Amino acid sequence: MTNELPPGLALRKVDERIMTLNVGPQHPGSGHMRIIVQIDGDYIVACDPDPGYVHRGEEKMAEYRNYILNIPHLERPVIHDSCNVLYPYVLGVEELLGIEVPERAKYVRVIASELNRCIYIMYWLAIYGIFLGHSTMFMWPAGDRELLIDLMEKMTGARVTHAHFVPGGVRNDLPPNFEDVCLRHVNYFEKRIKEYAAVFYDNPILIARTRDTGVLSRQDAIRFGTTGSVLRASGVDYDLRKKEPYDVYDELDVHTNVMKEGDSYARSRIPWLDMLESCNIIRQALQKMPKSGSVRVKLKPNPKGKGFDTVYKRVESGRGSLGCYIVSDGKPEPYRVKLSVPSFRNLVALPNLLRGEKLGNMPSVYWSLNYWPVEADR
Amino acid sequence: MSAIAPNFKLSEFIKSLLDNIFWIILIVVLIGLPAIMMILFVIEMPVIDGELLTPFLALTWLADPSRILPVVKAFMATDIFRVMAFPGFGFAALLAAGTIFVERKMMAKLQLRVGPFYCGKVEGILQLMGDGLKLISKEIIIPAKADKPIFWAAPVLFVATAAAFVAFIPVAPGWVVADVELGLLGVFAVIGFFPIITILSAWSANSKFPFIGGIRALFQMVSFEIPLILSLLGVVMLTGSLNLSEIAASQSSFPWIVFLPVGAIVFFITMLAELERIPFDLPEAESEIVAGWLTELSGMMYGLVQLGTYLKLYAFAGLFVVLFLGGWNGPMVVPPFPAELLEKGIEMGPITAGPFPGLPLFTQEMLNGALWFVLKTVTVIFFIILPRGVFPRIRVDMLLNLGWTKLIGLAFVNIFIALGLLYAGVLGPGGLQ
Amino acid sequence: MSSDVKTTTVDSKPEVKSPPPKPAAKKTEEKPVELPAFEKSISDKIIEKFGDKVEVGFVKEDRIRINVGKEDVHNVAEFIRDGLNYDHVESVSGVDYPQDNEIEVVYHIGSYSDSSLARQILVLATRAQRETNPIPGNDATKLPTLRDVFYSVEFHEREVFEMLGVFFEGHPDNRRLLLPEDWADLPPLRKDFAIKGR
Repeated sequence: MTNELPPGLALRKVDERIMTLNVGPQHPGSGHMRIIVQIDGDYIVACDPDPGYVHRGEEKMAEYRNYILNIPHLERPVIHDSCNVLYPYVLGVEELLGIEVPERAKYVRVIASELNRCIYIMYWLAIYGIFLGHSTMFMWPAGDRELLIDLMEKMTGARVTHAHFVPGGVRNDLPPNFEDVCLRHVNYFEKRIKEYAAVFYDNPILIARTRDTGVLSRQDAIRFGTTGSVLRASGVDYDLRKKEPYDVYDELDVHTNVMKEGDSYARSRIPWLDMLESCNIIRQALQKMPKSGSVRVKLKPNPKGKGFDTVYKRVESGRGSLGCYIVSDGKPEPYRVKLSVPSFRNLVALPNLLRGEKLGNMPSVYWSLNYWPVEADR
Repeated sequence: MSAIAPNFKLSEFIKSLLDNIFWIILIVVLIGLPAIMMILFVIEMPVIDGELLTPFLALTWLADPSRILPVVKAFMATDIFRVMAFPGFGFAALLAAGTIFVERKMMAKLQLRVGPFYCGKVEGILQLMGDGLKLISKEIIIPAKADKPIFWAAPVLFVATAAAFVAFIPVAPGWVVADVELGLLGVFAVIGFFPIITILSAWSANSKFPFIGGIRALFQMVSFEIPLILSLLGVVMLTGSLNLSEIAASQSSFPWIVFLPVGAIVFFITMLAELERIPFDLPEAESEIVAGWLTELSGMMYGLVQLGTYLKLYAFAGLFVVLFLGGWNGPMVVPPFPAELLEKGIEMGPITAGPFPGLPLFTQEMLNGALWFVLKTVTVIFFIILPRGVFPRIRVDMLLNLGWTKLIGLAFVNIFIALGLLYAGVLGPGGLQ
Repeated sequence: MSSDVKTTTVDSKPEVKSPPPKPAAKKTEEKPVELPAFEKSISDKIIEKFGDKVEVGFVKEDRIRINVGKEDVHNVAEFIRDGLNYDHVESVSGVDYPQDNEIEVVYHIGSYSDSSLARQILVLATRAQRETNPIPGNDATKLPTLRDVFYSVEFHEREVFEMLGVFFEGHPDNRRLLLPEDWADLPPLRKDFAIKGR
């Protein structure tokens, strides 16, 4: 054995003035990841994100299970956004197997995925609030999220991990009277989140803290390949629901929220606007949805692909474009499943955004990247 | 009542009380009384006034107001009572405990929660006691590389300093632990100790997050002490005294906040910063530096620092009341002491209790003053707590900018207002009042 | 599998496998009846520029696949960026093909700045030689990095390095990313790394 340490364990010699801080993985301000920050006084001179604390090998596991058994565990990376994280996989499998989905199922999927987006963003917003020391903004979204969780429970039977999308449609039809309940909850929810502006988004201290911090220019946002709210906060009008509509998004009127500033404040405001937009989409979908019909195509017990084939599908999740690359070799199990997750893509921007920032800005900039550590680790 | 809350049953509550009483009586009768009797059997009892002092006689004297009241009065005149009980530590700790409970329930209502609910049957009123017991019973972990003597001493010093601060606050006319001629200077001196203790605790822990938190606390407290002192100079000029009792007494006709609102606002903001309350809780900013300078403190060491923090909160609120809101001054609302109690005693049918010659333990003015002081202090504490529900934390550069430029500027404006009032002859020594 | 086992296996000679027949991925391009016109024009531009060096895997609606040898992948990527207006890489996936003795690295390249390309994904695939007994970073499993062309591949290439052992030459920061620092087993996404109990 050599005396050389493995690459990650080697300590780097740094300047006397510089203090290395291990923020995480067990730290109230990091989530399940470590950010190695080097600070000079109050300024961050270097930042090295170190994800992987909750790496679970989802991609490896997917190679050992057949296309249907993969559904419950592939949604685990983001359990709050479980419909959206499963969506590209299901779309990909449908293309591989050549399945046509019934019209009603497509609408049910859109409703479920928009509800899930709101659930995710509420959770994200709660943590953003507590990262900024705003405890009311932690409790309110965490409480109002329950409204939509109750809806999802009615729809799928599970509160958080739904496993509702299957190749060929959705698992169950909507319960009777769901449309009315959904409309009522969504209307109340919309009214409620509009109140957040008064206590959070228009708060002068919040604006003073997050304006002009962690500015990501339009060129950099494109160059780093960021996605979702980070990209749209930097002035790039790119939303897959609009640009590459999947299922029935082309029949719905989707408005894309774009802000020019590219700072933490813009990045935190875009998801909130997205929630308002989601409420609109849900209302439209409820109106246009066929009132009856099948929601699922029966599959054969152990579906196989037609031979060697690859497919890459992507959807707009709560954090941004989420892609799934499936390689099939004609067996019931996929040959390779790769999730291209938005959190991982946005992470590239973090070292560049934090360099030169103050330590006090670290939580707000970090969390404004709409980052979910478990998803990035997979 | 929500679904998760247990149903409160009066019968259960009374049953639990009766249970406790039963066990106490049982233990006293079976163990306590025999033990006392055995001890009495051995020792020789003194003879007082020609009577042998038996336990029965002692109990009779304790129940006799004419004998016990002078003892109580004499005790109340001692310094130890003032320090331990009324205007000092005990009173402040009681108010602090009430503050914690009110804060938790109020924040819970603001954030659509229930807050403490179970402990103590009624709205979680005993939650604080439970928390205290938990903190006492927890293991105290000292970091391996800590500078142990200083690390141990820091929480104790913190509470001691906070208690010293409490000692300066006059609660009612004549009721103050330390009636110092230069009381306000003493207050400044005591406030000056807090950053030292903080940085000692932070540095001795020999850990990164406490260190950063300690440095932040040092920055924050030092930079806000200057506007703090400057904002109070206006009051000193108008009163012509540094004695806090005299300052409170000088506001019998109107509180100084009427003439010095700028100073009051500056003092209030600096107070928030000195207390490390949101939005100025940077030294304990949990998302950046875990718990700041409290990170390595565990068990009752943490509990002591929390106790000190709330004592400090009470003391600052009291200082605000004394300096700007008129202290104990207020309309007389406490009814006069019933005179027949002194002459006839209480007549209830055939039984007559009394008369109680030495009874008015507290004068009417003192009770009234204490009542107004508590009311005003609780109001100020309410306003100190309130920002926690609506503001996020600010950043250290914004904080220093606020302290060194805006607040100091405003404090000077306040001084000029006070000087103007003084030289115009409107107020001040020999002015209107 | 501990590191001791690994050192012993390194000493043993890698067995020489006869290359198995090519999988269906490398099937020769049969022209489908109708190809989407816009996608066809893009693939034609690449063919026109590089000729035989590139091979068009498929042209479907919104998806174009280009297979390149590892010598040309850098040039092709530069052309894709400068000539075709693609500007970011969405995903870098490594796929292990033990039967070919090769590891395929697939770049999914998209564009934000060109709105006509918003739906498009260009799949750029290249293959590296596979070693039976890998020593990540010190064996022949190497590819040129694309980080100087597309900045966004930085973390993705680090992930492919640790998960499949493909070393990217010229990458400035070839450290571990997701796996623990003391991971001394096979790169886990290779097919010969078996999950216990499966």
